[in-house]
Amino acid sequence: MNILLRLQLFFQITGHYASYFLAYIFETIFFLIFVVISLIAMIYIFRKYMARLQLRIGPNRVGKFGLLQLIADALKLVGKESIIPKLRDDFAYKAAPYIVFIGLVVGFVIIPYGSFYWIGSLTITHSNVSLILFFGAIAMMPIGEVLAGISSHNKYAVIGAFRGIAKDVSFEVPMMISAVSLVMMDSALSRTSLNFETLVSTQFIPFGILQPLGLFVFMVAMIARSSYTPFDLSESDSEIVSGYSTEYSGMRFGLFYMGMFGSIFLGSLVVSLLYLGGFNGPYSSYAGFIYLLIKGLILVLISFLIWLSMPRIRVDRFINFGWKILLPISIINLIWAGFLTLGVIS
Amino acid sequence: MAEWTEVNFGPQHPSMHGVLRLRVKLDGEIVKEVEPIIGYLHRNAEKIGELQFYCDNMIYFDRMDYVAAMNMEVGYLEAAEKLLDIEVPERAQWIRVMMAELNRIASHLVWLGAFGLDLGMLTPFFYCFKEREKILKIFTEVSGSRQQLNYMSIGGVYQDVTDEALDHIKTFIREFPKELNKIESLFVKNDVFISRTKGIGILSKEMAIDYGVTGPMLRASGVEYDVRKAQPYLVYDKVNFDIPVSFKGDNLARFLVRVEEMRQSVKIVEQTIQKLPAGPYFNQKAKKPLMIRLRGQGEVYARTESPKGEFGVYLIGDGSMRPYRVRVRSPTFKNLSVLPALAKDQMIADLISIGGSIDLVFGEVDR
Amino acid sequence: MVDIIAEEKTKDGRKVIRVAKENLIELMKELKSQGYNLSLTTAVDYVDHIEVVYHVYNMQKNEYIIVKTETKDNHVPSLTSLWNAANWDEREEYDLVGVIFDGHPNLKRLFLPEGWVGHPLRKNYDLSKAQYINMDEDGNDYVTFDPEGGW
Repeated sequence: MNILLRLQLFFQITGHYASYFLAYIFETIFFLIFVVISLIAMIYIFRKYMARLQLRIGPNRVGKFGLLQLIADALKLVGKESIIPKLRDDFAYKAAPYIVFIGLVVGFVIIPYGSFYWIGSLTITHSNVSLILFFGAIAMMPIGEVLAGISSHNKYAVIGAFRGIAKDVSFEVPMMISAVSLVMMDSALSRTSLNFETLVSTQFIPFGILQPLGLFVFMVAMIARSSYTPFDLSESDSEIVSGYSTEYSGMRFGLFYMGMFGSIFLGSLVVSLLYLGGFNGPYSSYAGFIYLLIKGLILVLISFLIWLSMPRIRVDRFINFGWKILLPISIINLIWAGFLTLGVIS
Repeated sequence: MAEWTEVNFGPQHPSMHGVLRLRVKLDGEIVKEVEPIIGYLHRNAEKIGELQFYCDNMIYFDRMDYVAAMNMEVGYLEAAEKLLDIEVPERAQWIRVMMAELNRIASHLVWLGAFGLDLGMLTPFFYCFKEREKILKIFTEVSGSRQQLNYMSIGGVYQDVTDEALDHIKTFIREFPKELNKIESLFVKNDVFISRTKGIGILSKEMAIDYGVTGPMLRASGVEYDVRKAQPYLVYDKVNFDIPVSFKGDNLARFLVRVEEMRQSVKIVEQTIQKLPAGPYFNQKAKKPLMIRLRGQGEVYARTESPKGEFGVYLIGDGSMRPYRVRVRSPTFKNLSVLPALAKDQMIADLISIGGSIDLVFGEVDR
Repeated sequence: MVDIIAEEKTKDGRKVIRVAKENLIELMKELKSQGYNLSLTTAVDYVDHIEVVYHVYNMQKNEYIIVKTETKDNHVPSLTSLWNAANWDEREEYDLVGVIFDGHPNLKRLFLPEGWVGHPLRKNYDLSKAQYINMDEDGNDYVTFDPEGGW
């Protein structure tokens, strides 16, 4: 029993097709509410956490403990005039933030969430190749960033876009290789390893323990994907003002901002799913979602700690790091995964 | 240089401390040519100085290096008092040294925080400014204002240091070294910080001397030269301190030299508190109503060691109540002039970190 | 040995060497070979002539001396061939006092935008006339007397 079937049961009086239709719509709405609320909570936690680290208080004016601060900020961003450059490529300029945000939302749609209480499985996408779908979806986000950088016709933005491409190329290859080594190992355990949910639920011990190198590579890749401080090359504020999002303001900027925080959360969820056992645990058919959230949140806090304590790495050093350290490590991890797979089979 | 992009950094840019504008020619990520354009904060303090009485000029010096106003005041008064033949009482000299060194700590803390920001470190900035805030509180207690202090005046200081303020300085001095170690470890224990600073922007000894670079930048290039030791002014010959020197000449060396200078400043302040003599804090010859009527004849040049380097004031008096010519040797002006040579063929990120390591304060570069 | 017009002392006891501007480069070369470095270049407007003051110092000997030269036609040889430290200082003095340093590789205004009328540190500079600054499309500053044309 999963959330879609429960909704369909609820709408059964409207007939077979209409009930599925309504169930899909309501599932999507619930889901979007979940994403937005979790992003707002994330940003709130981030601001409070950052303030505590930096000997400040953080938001405390709007609402109790400043809980409504983020809503106020979002309202401000929506109400702001969007200043757009004159010499832009209009369609690309306007589409870019949506591409980033849609990539994020699709990423959230695809990952499995485990089961929660009597509702059952919360997973939305049921596909036998959802892992591939997921990587395809998050690969949309850099496209949006590059489009934003090039279409704004700003030198800083173009430099930011170039840096973004260089960064993406150098971390995606090791990331995919370490994902492949997971699938390889899991193929010994199940027949549909490309299904994200099976890949997670067949982790008898968390894959991060079996493949610590893979965990390292994937975590670094996720940090680079969400581009915060050690690897925020494409939007490094002290060098190229704001990188690809220099010319954006108002809610368009807000979408990039949400995209950044969203990809931190998404990356943490994915790392905890793939390497830390995700929703597996005692009573996982009732509390799997809670396990996932807790693991994700711990990873988010670790990400924030890294963000706030690290200076920015230089772009050439990051590319060197990607090709000369991450790639060999991920290949070693692949070989190690091969040994493990053979060991498990025999 | 067949193909390059010209990019304009500043005057409004997140890491151009103040209003520096750089016209940079880029080949991809590589900086091919840097042309600093300055003058956006130019007020021509030298001309204003010619139109003011000797005692009024102080406030314009406060606004030169606005993060180290005490050192600017010391620099101006060294020149003005020599020109006007005003003796400074012993106690006032010790107070001046104490305040100048406290302000040196404050200035270096600002630099430290801003340097972290240039490299993308958010957090140390707040730790630095928390410590600086303690110094500014002491200044507020002593002089009544935070940054543009106008505390010293011709012939002494504006008001005496109370025992209460001395207690606060003592507490600060006791706690600061521990905090400084904490702040320093935030930087030097970070591998990425080391990789961003070590071997970046190497300024050789010969080049530093050739460009007239002074202060911590010169000492980080291996020249043990400090005006406080070479030509002691005030009572620097009676206090015991060392000159930190590094022979590497890179960003990391400049960082370490400045951190060590803060420790030496703590040592100096400690000694000034111990040795602070009793007595008048003001020379009656220059008391308020007489102050504007002071006349100076001749020319003097006073050199002092400001946090940024050698701060010189060249005054020419023609026997009237106003100086005939005021000329300021601004250390950051000279230190900035070496940036185009240092940043050539480096990456954009290094251009920013080298620019940050110079310790620019635009009130002083543009005057 | 270079011809020195006079040797005197300033009020605070620094040695001053006066030299004709024709002999300036020669004297500076000699000082440089003795280990002196340029610290500061100043130009002082004495209405009928301009005095250019060079502060040179020696770190080893811990000595600090002043070299002065005079010019009546605003022209002084540039020291940029000897020290890079002279570069920006001479540009500043050209900008503010109007001394033309012959042989300077890039004698442009430093603080004030190109096209500024007058040199502010001259004694006859008219302070009552306001000039307004603006920037053209190529990023170069320019100056106008029209209050509407700049800021």
